Amino acid sequence: MNCELAHESIVMAVYGELPDDAAHNLERHLAACHDCAHERDQVQALKLLAETLPVREPDANLVARSRMRLEEALDALPPKRWLERLVQKLRNNAATVQAAPIAACLLLLAGAGAGSLGGYHFAHARAAKAEPPRTADVRTVSGSLPDMAQGAEIASVSSIVRQPNSQFVEVHYNQLVPQQVRGSLDDPAIRRLLMLAIESAGNAGVRDDSVGLLAAECRAGHGCQAAGIRDALMVALRYDRNAGVRQKALDGLQPYVAQDLRVRDAVLEALLNDSDPRIRTEAINILEPVEADTSVRQVLQSVATTDRNPRIRLVSRHVLSQVGEIQ
Amino acid sequence: MGATRAINGANRGQNRAESRAPEMELIREAQAGNRAAFDSLVRQYEQQVLRLALHLTGSEQDAEDIYQEAFLKAYRYLGNFRFECSFYTWIYRIVTNLCLDQLRRKKTRREDQAVILDHSGDEIDMLASVSDERAFSNPARELDRKVLGIRIQEALAKLTPRERMVFELKHYQGLRLRTIGEMLNTTEETAKNTLFRATKKLRAQLAGLR
Repeated sequence: MNCELAHESIVMAVYGELPDDAAHNLERHLAACHDCAHERDQVQALKLLAETLPVREPDANLVARSRMRLEEALDALPPKRWLERLVQKLRNNAATVQAAPIAACLLLLAGAGAGSLGGYHFAHARAAKAEPPRTADVRTVSGSLPDMAQGAEIASVSSIVRQPNSQFVEVHYNQLVPQQVRGSLDDPAIRRLLMLAIESAGNAGVRDDSVGLLAAECRAGHGCQAAGIRDALMVALRYDRNAGVRQKALDGLQPYVAQDLRVRDAVLEALLNDSDPRIRTEAINILEPVEADTSVRQVLQSVATTDRNPRIRLVSRHVLSQVGEIQ
Repeated sequence: MGATRAINGANRGQNRAESRAPEMELIREAQAGNRAAFDSLVRQYEQQVLRLALHLTGSEQDAEDIYQEAFLKAYRYLGNFRFECSFYTWIYRIVTNLCLDQLRRKKTRREDQAVILDHSGDEIDMLASVSDERAFSNPARELDRKVLGIRIQEALAKLTPRERMVFELKHYQGLRLRTIGEMLNTTEETAKNTLFRATKKLRAQLAGLR
């Protein structure tokens, strides 16, 4: 260490800014250099001298005066316009994002992922609402698109196969072909379609019409002997979400409560479990011819005490009080 | 010893980070327009700001003006604070720049502030607050100290504004040279060299004093 460097190091050492290794070298130099040792004494004396000029703490009056003056000045500032506030907010947000680049990237990825997933699910849901397509036979075409039935549209393409080393491809696609048919309610084909319509999950109006027509046929005694129609009405009574459809199914089953135990059991289930009080009331009325049946009486007794509708409880008790001998 | 210092330094850093968390929330609220939050920040730093301004300018009125201007600037530009440094460094940067401007104006007008003036312009006895149990029994020594103080003030006034600022922040405010460099928008090395020059000049000015 030379003396010029030592003089600089002395100042740093006196003010506590000298690293330990440099301090060690300085000590070694000062031990050998009398002039630099004297220099150190002079700098230490200067530090002591400067400390005789004390740093005065601001008195309370000065602080209070300054604070009051500042508050007056801040109160006098005009409020920021909405545009300035908006710009400031955007800047702060940008600064926050800038200060957290990894978080910003993750946020961007999460947003893009959520958007893609949402879009996929939306498109998938829309496609699922379409009717199941008929699978068409494989046809060979050339030069033009295949002839389509009037009003038919291609629902989807299920597979594409390219023949090796050729320009020919085989495309499997599904087609939707709307159809219509007319006939009498006694026509088995019409009845079959009406029973299929009861299972039409998405269209309550179609289910309501088909159940109404079949129930009317059954009440009129028109060929309701077939187990299929009664089964379809019982399914509608038990499971349809629409109370109007269930009501019509119950009306259609009414003629068969006495003779068909399956129908009686379906009506008893409706009395116990249906959410609509009108249907439960209707079920009590329908069960009147068979109110002496043990199962019916047990259900009526249960309903008379546990049904949440007071009127239904009352009607059940009334029916029970009028029952004669067990049949 | 090097490893111990490294561990202690890491612990101090963690403590500083933990203690800065509430202040960061306060700053964010103030940036969002919460006046009470800004007032809390002012209260945290007003003593230090006034102390520095008062010691540098020697005038209560000037110190008050610097306080006013510094905090108004802080309020106006708080939205630009990006937490890249501590708020303490940021506010001190504003204050030191204002003090430097003040020192430069005084240098231009060739005013030597050898005494401290209060807000009404009366001289304040700087050494009156320094307790000395022998003051009443040795008035001559008391006078010597007063004269000494004035001589030191005169020597400080002969430094350049930048040298005066570095010496003030290092010697009287006790800041690290690295912090001083950040506040004055320069490097630690430059602050070191400035301090060295300042001490050399002061030694030359105060050579005859004992």
